[in-house]
Order: sequence, then structure tokens, then C-alpha cells
Amino acid sequence: MGATENLHLVADASDPLLRVDHVSLSFKGVKAVTDISFDVYRGEILALIGPNGAGKSSLLNVINGVYVPQEGTVSFEGRALHMNPWRSAHLGISRTFQNLALFKGMTVLENVLTGRNLFARSSVLEQAIGAWRVRREEEGATRRAEEIIDFLEIGPYRHTAVRKLPYGLQKRVELGRALAAEPKLLLLDEPMAGMNPDEKQDMCRFILAINREFGTTVLLIEHDMGVVMDLSDRVVVLDYGRKIADGPPAEIGSNPDVIDAYLGVAH
Amino acid sequence: MQFFLEVLIGGLLSGVMYSMVAIGFVLIYKASGVFNFAQGSMVLFAALTFVSILERGVPFWSALLVTLVVMLVLAIVIERAALRFLVNRPPMTLFMATLGLSYVIEGLAQTLWGAQVHGLELGIADEPIDFHGIGISQFDLFAAGTAATLVVLLTLLFNKTRTGLALRAVADDQVASLAVGIRLQRVWGVVWAVAGFVGLVAGLLWGARVGVQFSLSLIVLKALPVLIIGGFSSITGAIVGGLIVGSTEKLAEVYIGPTFGGGIENWFPYLLALLFLFARPDGLFGEKNIQRV
Amino acid sequence: MLYQEAGQLAVSYRSARRIFRLRQDRVAIMLLLAAAFVVVPRIGNDYWFSAILIPFLVLSLAGLGLNILTGYAGQMSLGSAAFMAVGAFAAYNFQLRLPGLPLPIGLVLGGLSAAAVGVVFGLPSGRIKGFYLIVSTLGAQFFVQWVFTKFGWFSNYNSSGVISAPKLEIAGVDFSSPSGRYLLTLTVVTVLTWAAANLVRSGTGRNWRAVRDMDVAAAVIGIPIFRTKLVAFAVSSFYCGVAGVLWAFAYLGTVEPHGFDLDRSFQVLFIVIIGGLGSVFGNFLGAAFIVLLPVLLDHLAATLLAGTVDPGNLENLEKIVFGGLIVFFLIKEPDGLARLWQSFRERSRVWPLRT
Repeated sequence: MGATENLHLVADASDPLLRVDHVSLSFKGVKAVTDISFDVYRGEILALIGPNGAGKSSLLNVINGVYVPQEGTVSFEGRALHMNPWRSAHLGISRTFQNLALFKGMTVLENVLTGRNLFARSSVLEQAIGAWRVRREEEGATRRAEEIIDFLEIGPYRHTAVRKLPYGLQKRVELGRALAAEPKLLLLDEPMAGMNPDEKQDMCRFILAINREFGTTVLLIEHDMGVVMDLSDRVVVLDYGRKIADGPPAEIGSNPDVIDAYLGVAH
Repeated sequence: MQFFLEVLIGGLLSGVMYSMVAIGFVLIYKASGVFNFAQGSMVLFAALTFVSILERGVPFWSALLVTLVVMLVLAIVIERAALRFLVNRPPMTLFMATLGLSYVIEGLAQTLWGAQVHGLELGIADEPIDFHGIGISQFDLFAAGTAATLVVLLTLLFNKTRTGLALRAVADDQVASLAVGIRLQRVWGVVWAVAGFVGLVAGLLWGARVGVQFSLSLIVLKALPVLIIGGFSSITGAIVGGLIVGSTEKLAEVYIGPTFGGGIENWFPYLLALLFLFARPDGLFGEKNIQRV
Repeated sequence: MLYQEAGQLAVSYRSARRIFRLRQDRVAIMLLLAAAFVVVPRIGNDYWFSAILIPFLVLSLAGLGLNILTGYAGQMSLGSAAFMAVGAFAAYNFQLRLPGLPLPIGLVLGGLSAAAVGVVFGLPSGRIKGFYLIVSTLGAQFFVQWVFTKFGWFSNYNSSGVISAPKLEIAGVDFSSPSGRYLLTLTVVTVLTWAAANLVRSGTGRNWRAVRDMDVAAAVIGIPIFRTKLVAFAVSSFYCGVAGVLWAFAYLGTVEPHGFDLDRSFQVLFIVIIGGLGSVFGNFLGAAFIVLLPVLLDHLAATLLAGTVDPGNLENLEKIVFGGLIVFFLIKEPDGLARLWQSFRERSRVWPLRT
């Protein structure tokens, strides 16, 4: 697929929501990912796995527009685009970060509310005079934010400054902020990292619910094989920046290349 | 052409003075990552102390020594009383703290030594020497020479001594330096002392040129464009930046100035710095900051 | 005991969003405003109006402007006084060249002019981050001062260099008496503070804080970074501009570039630091501090150390105290007096129990 804007395709159920096409990314000569291609279909949960340093986070950053690949294209809903963070957000892509990117100076509610900024319509002047339209918007946004906060079971902390919360709860707040934008595609960078088994259970529950109830397509980077096997519909495996496998979890689990990669067998 | 060269050389030499002040900033930035606004007041303090001691009849070299000690003490006090408590704060906080410090030092300087202008004689005649028909100020040449010596000494300090190595380690990564056993406080003490010394030299030279007065501390504001152009973390950058600012400022004043009635040099360096920021956000010689997500 | 909020639960999102959620706070602010608008004009003397209250109010406004830019949006600025100057000179020129221009319009035009200039000097924020951005507003400070000093057009080619501010009159009512100027200033400051409080609690305020806290994340969730920063520059400069007009018209009575120099910018920055970054109320605390401390020091010098300290040294003493306090606040309480006030309130909520 060429890098042409506004490519019109016939709408098709099997049409991928996201297509990564021969993407290569390097930093000053160091190749992070090489010639990666895969599709993400609407409504599925796709897991991106691989040993540390395989280029998973970099790939997520490319999809999201934080990094620009030297080669290849990223197409969303059939259109190949020059992606940047702002545009990806407005297209309906939300994400969480491996190292948390919360707004430390705000509370839980405020953080989740920032995720609603895509729906804001009132002008600065209207906000300054406290126009009726602003009040309606704020109430609507707060209602939605509170629903998400309840869904993620962090209600008691809604007015707590996020920097005071434990790591596990902070990760939920970040998820909440991503959900507040009502995304079509949710990119999760190691959502379970640093969590104990109970917390992971909760997180799995949330991700499944997000996918089944809201219909959100999920692409997640994950290290815990148990989680990957349970949650995902398909798995893409990366090693040294290259894709080495792509398929349903059962297949991947018995793929010799994948096993080699994780055991560190040189190839 | 001759006139142009004269203005240019005058500007370059004046730029050398800016460089020296900027070097003091670079030192502190390298070690603690903060733009030390108080540098200007330290320069003023140094100059005022020196001149006031001189006026009381103390011989030149003794006065210099005493001032040096005073600056050292000042640096230690600053480190103990203020900087020590601001270790992990964001750069803006540190900058504002040095702003506060500058006020304290200035107030102190003028309380101790008074607010009138003092003349300072360093014994160098200000007659211009003729160089192929271009007049060059002897004093400016002396200043340039001093600056060059200073730079050589500093380079030796940084690259050839253990303290210099420690300094560079701290500039790179404070936590890592602590991990390998470098005494952060000691390093900072050394840095501020050296910066104080550089400030003293700069203060003396500037003082001899324009007289030792309050506006000396405004020079720090000129150092900012110098550092932005040259890079905050490089001594070479400070020199090149100073030369660029000094020369362009003079040239702009002389050639564009008259159209507007003068005063261009007050803001021209900032415009230049802004343009440089667009082209080279880290300065000509600064370290690139790559943000990893 | 008095200050407890038991039984005062918000039952709707709207009531949770009010600026003053607790009844005690609302009562307090009503009393304060009543006192300020009704009582003070009657009992105040001219000295208090002219030398204390008016500069306090105007500096609070300027602080609020800078706080919006630096405290909320995280963009460092050393050019507050320059924007104040633009406001003052713009308002003066509009008033001069459009005879019969109502004073409120002149105020707004002064603010808008300052906002425009603010946006221009804020443009570099698209490429330049953090501390380096200072060079833009610092340059603005020198540039603006140079423009108003060099180009006589702005001062109506006045040879003495001192321009009298226009007469303060709205719809025939004369406000040029000290209490009149005070009321005018108080009204403007109250209205603009209310507007600022609305702004910082709404989407714009959250966008500012998001850009301040982590701009990459803000971009990722769809916040337009550059536009958000420019809005901050515009609003902040508007506030500084109006403050500048009031400074010239209601406080000094003259319009001149001299009072809008770098020292003034530093003064506004000190107000914001001492008062508390990221706070609306803090600016008033900071301004009160800045205005009252010299008065206090003067009194102390006159009474306790009578005769030993001469006026020149008093100024230096002030400098030392201010500088020292800045450093002290930055070390001990970086969130300024506003945070101290907040802590006090929190303790009084559970008093006589302890937190």
C-alpha cells in the first residue's frame, strides 16, 4: 500500500482498523524496528510481545505519531497518514505509557477530565464568563469521567492528587484518562507492569470489559504470558526489532522461533 | 572598511568580556544544571569588595587575595544556606532561587560598601594602539589576554585534574556521581568558588572599564543570549557566543542604530538568541537533549 | 468547629463545581466584598487608598496575569512589566486619538493590545521549551521599553517626558478622588479575578496545567499544545495590560516607561512566587506582602532602630529581606503563602481536633 492520503476503500468487515506496513525506525543509526507489518482488526485484542528491547514501545510510539518512521506507513481506518500525537488522538487512538504520563499537578478526576478535551466546544471567552453552555459541558464531562472512575473502581480517590496514589492506582487513572476520549483503538504499553496478581486480575477484567462492552479495539504490550494467552485474540511477536510470528495465542505458544527468542538462542 | 574593522574588533573585544561572565555561568550550569542568576551580583560583590579594600590603602595583590577569600566564603555560605536544600527541584525553581540570592548579595554588597560609583585603576593605559591604521584599545587587548589565560587554566582544570573529572561527572548525572562516591557538596563548593573567582576577574575588568557600580549586575542579563547562542554547557560556546554577541551588538548599534536613535544594543542580542534557538535549540556547542518517551 | 463542612455535601455536579463550595466560604467572601466595596470607601483615608490599597490591587492583578502564564501554563516569563507598559500606553493613545472613548472600552483596548503583543512574544514557545523561553519575554522587556522611550509618537511627542493620565470618568461619574480610584480599581480587579477563577477551573485551565505538567502526554490526548500556550500568553498579557492601565491611570496618574522596567517584572515574579504558583488567591497574598513589607520595615526602622538606619540602606535591607524570603519560600514552601493558607484552613476544618 502506498503512502497516499485519503485512500478510499470499500468498507468491509474484514478491513483492518490499523495497518502497519513495512515500518522501519532507527535512532541515529541504531535500528529500533525493521520492516514490521501487521494488521489490527476491529474489535479484537492484539498482544504485542517479545523480549526486552525488541522494539515494542517504539512501535507503539510510531503508531501514535510520537516517532516518525524512516520507512513504511501506518494506516488507520484505511487511510495512510502522517501521524502525530494530536492527530492520532483526534482520529480515535488513545494510549497509556510504560512509565506513566499522568499530570502530577492534578487530581484523579481532573486527569480523567483532560481526556474529555476532545469533546469540548466552548470558547475561552465563554469559559471566562461562566456561560451556561460551559456549565452544561462541564457537567456532561464530569458525568462521563465519574462513570469511568466508577468503572475502574477508583471512586474514593477522585479528589486525591495523583502523585499521592500508589503505582497500581496511578496506572488505572491513566487508563481512565485514555478511556475518557472514547477511543476506537486503545494502545496499552505494559498495563500490568509492577502489579501484584490481584491487581493484574482487576486490570484484565477492565480490559476485557472495555473490549466486550465498549467494543474498543485493544493493542497491548505485555510480558506476562498468562495474561497474553487469556486476554488476546491474536499475538504478534517481535525480536530484535523484527516480527517473527503472528497468529492466535495457541499457535504462538508452540512456535519454535518464539521459544528460541525468549530463551535467547542466537540466530 | 577601516571603520568597519574598528567597530568589529571593538565589538569582539567587548564580547570577550561577555564571554568571561558567561564562563562563570557555564561552570555552575555544568555542575548543578542551573542558570545562576546570582552570578552578576557576585561579580558586583567581588568588584566592590576589591575596590573598597584598595581604597583603604591595602596593596593591590593583598587586596586581590582577600577578595578571593571573601568570594570563597560567600560561595560556601550560599551552598550551605541555600543550594543544599534545593537539590532535586526543577530548573525553574533553582533559577528563581538564584534570583532571590542575587537580591540578597546585591543588597549586602551595597550595605557594606555603599552605593556610589568607584573608579578602578588596573594600571593599564587606555590609549589605543595603531594596528595597520585601526585603533585597538590596549585595555581591551589586556582583557582578551586575561580571558584567554583563564580559559586555558579552566580547560586544564576540567580535563587534567581529578576534581575536573568529578565536575564533569556531576554535570552529566548527579545521582550516578553520588553512586560512585563523588561528594556532591564538595564539588558544588569547588564550582561556586571557581565561579566566584571568574566573577572576580570579570568584575575587575568590567569595573575598570565602566566603573564599579550597580549596573554591573545587569551584565548577567547579557550573558543569557551569550549562553543560548553558545550553549549552556560549553566553555567554548561561552567564548564563541560572547564574541558573536559582542560584535553583532556593536555592529547593529553603529550601522542600524542611527535610524532609530540608538539603543538597539539593549535588545538586539535577544533577537539574535531567539533566531539561534529556532535554528539550533541547544546552542552551537551545547549538549543535545533528546526526550525519550 | 466553626469551619466544619459536615452536612454540606454536593448533590449535583453543578454544586460541586462552585468556586466556593462551603457555605462558610461563601459567607466570608460576601462579607469581604461588602467590606471592600461599602465600608472601606467610607472609613479609609487617602494615604491608605493611594499608597497601599490601589497598588496592592493592581499588583495582585499583574500577579494573576503572570501566574496564569507561569503557574498554570508553566511558561516562564520575565516580561510582565513590558505587557503592563503596552496596556498603559495603548489605553492612553486610544483615549487620546478617539476623543470621548468611554474608560471601560479604553481599559479593554489596552488589555487587548497587550494580549496581541503577548502572543507575538509567545510565538517562540512553539519551538522553544522550558527555561530558554525566558529569552523571549526578557527581550520583550527591553524591546518594549526601548520602543516607548525612543518613539515619541506613543507619548504624543511630549517634551517633558511625563504624560498625565486622562481623567477617570465613567458615564459622567468622576472617579478621580482617592476613594473613587480605589473603587474603580476594586471593581476591575474583582471582575477579572472572577473571570480568571472561572477559566482555571474549566477546560482551558486543565489544558494549561496539562501542558505544564507533561506536554507530550497532553499532545497524545489531543490537546493542541501550541494553541494552548498562545492562549495562556494572550490571557496573561491581557491581565498584565489592564493592570498596566490601572497602574498608570489610577495609581501613578502618569504614563511613562520608567515604571515598567525589569525591576517591576521581577517584582511581579516575586509576588507570584511568594503568593504561590498555580493559585488565584495567592496573588493577593503575595501582593499584600510586597506592598506592606516596605511599609513595615520603614516603621520598624523608624521606631526600633531610629536614626541608625538611613533611607538608602533601608532599600538595601528590603532587597536582602525580599531575596532571602524568596529563597526561604522556595526551599520550605514552594507553593507559597497560598499553600500555608490552605493548610491553615484544613486544620481549622477539624479544629479543635488535629489533622
